[in-house]
Amino acid sequence: MSHAPAWLIVPALIVPAVAVSPAYAVQYMTAEGAQKQLFPEASSFVAHPLRLTDAQKDRIEKVAKVRMRSPEQPVWQVLADGKPAGWFVLDEVYGKHEFITYAVALDAAGAVRGVEILDYRETHGGEIRNPKWRAQFNGAQFGAALKLGDDIQNISGATLSCKHISEGVRRVLAIHEVALKQP
Amino acid sequence: MKTRLLTVVVPFAVAAMSASAAHADENLFGYVKGSETLPANASEAYIWLTHRFDKGQGEYSAYDSQIEYEYGVTSRFTASAALLGQSIDTSGLVIDGYLPSSESYGFKLSGIELKGKYNFLSAAMDPVGLSAEFELVQSWLDPHSGKDKDTTSFDVSFQLQKFFLDDQLIAVANAGLEGTYAKRVPLDAATQASADLAMQGLTGDPGAIFEWPTEPEMELEVTLGAGLSYRFAPNWSIGAETQYQTEFETEVGQERWTWFAGPTLHYGSKKWWATLTWFEQLAGGREQYINQADDSLHLIEKTEHEVRLKLGYNF
Repeated sequence: MSHAPAWLIVPALIVPAVAVSPAYAVQYMTAEGAQKQLFPEASSFVAHPLRLTDAQKDRIEKVAKVRMRSPEQPVWQVLADGKPAGWFVLDEVYGKHEFITYAVALDAAGAVRGVEILDYRETHGGEIRNPKWRAQFNGAQFGAALKLGDDIQNISGATLSCKHISEGVRRVLAIHEVALKQP
Repeated sequence: MKTRLLTVVVPFAVAAMSASAAHADENLFGYVKGSETLPANASEAYIWLTHRFDKGQGEYSAYDSQIEYEYGVTSRFTASAALLGQSIDTSGLVIDGYLPSSESYGFKLSGIELKGKYNFLSAAMDPVGLSAEFELVQSWLDPHSGKDKDTTSFDVSFQLQKFFLDDQLIAVANAGLEGTYAKRVPLDAATQASADLAMQGLTGDPGAIFEWPTEPEMELEVTLGAGLSYRFAPNWSIGAETQYQTEFETEVGQERWTWFAGPTLHYGSKKWWATLTWFEQLAGGREQYINQADDSLHLIEKTEHEVRLKLGYNF
């Protein structure tokens, strides 16, 4: 007599559930909402999607010390009263298991003006949505190390998320330096 | 007992599936371990189910289960307690000193386990992650024969973890040492007589007897393991892991060694995760049973194949 069926019921229940269940997503804010939050004075957001050349991508990866998974980057130029007021960059980084969608606002000089978390789906570390944690990036410019534990405070249980957002902001600053900065 | 297991497993599985969101702390592997610990005050419940089967002759099928609660005492120290269970179904195979007779029963509670894990270095923040784990197990059923056997073991192990490719590729390495004190319960007269008869048939010696030592024994087990896991899509990781294990016993010196390896599939969501591992014995040696056909494996205390399913729920 086999005693197998008792435990086989577990994968039998789990596997179909996983197969039919889409990944659960909590969207805290839309891109449009983040734009208004980060640039309340803006009169318009002009889509400025980037498609980086191989040379630009290599340069960004070299200076930021972070991989770029795609050469495409959603970017909007922010106008206030018809004048350039900065950039709004939408980005994704890995959390522990899923992507975290976040946005970085850069002022006209390329310094971080704010960071907003649009989606966060991890078990621990919801504190990264805390304004105080996000404010640590404000004012950062190209060249800033943004090293977790030194420049950016870690959040217990969300170390990977904190690390990847810090790296992501560093990458966004490099994108500005390489592909957006006005001569 | 089977019914009892179902009453535990099914609500757990349903609760896990109905969780309102997706993600988790995780065991990316079935057998080797990473260096991470739970955040302070976080809890996790696990269920492990391992199927060990095929000793090359006769029928051998055993299931080990573990229901575990884990708590993050601090962000660096995790404590856990577990209930162990097992079922067994074996026939047509007698192994001198290890497997005296056919045995068949459903799930029985077989032991308890207490564990502590301390994280010295964080894999995400330091060049490499490093943890040490201490484990104390008290069991009263022999996992090989299914017979009564009181065993106390203490295990110390170290876990190294390193991230690559922006943390999509994770490598781990483990080293552990386990000391065991065990004492078997004597066989009943009928089982001893049938086992003696089986030994006489196997050896052709009419005076042969089946040995079932009941004196206390001490064993030392060394385990080395390594694994690689790659996150190929959000929530999903695929990997491979391997484990070398050898055991030294007071009377015979090196009693066995085995080398297992196999693929691992992991799914992690916000509240729960699952890991499924196929573990195949690639090589093994030292003690073998009489008339063992495949002498490149150790099939006395190990089987040719293992499958392990782990489910975890974070709260």
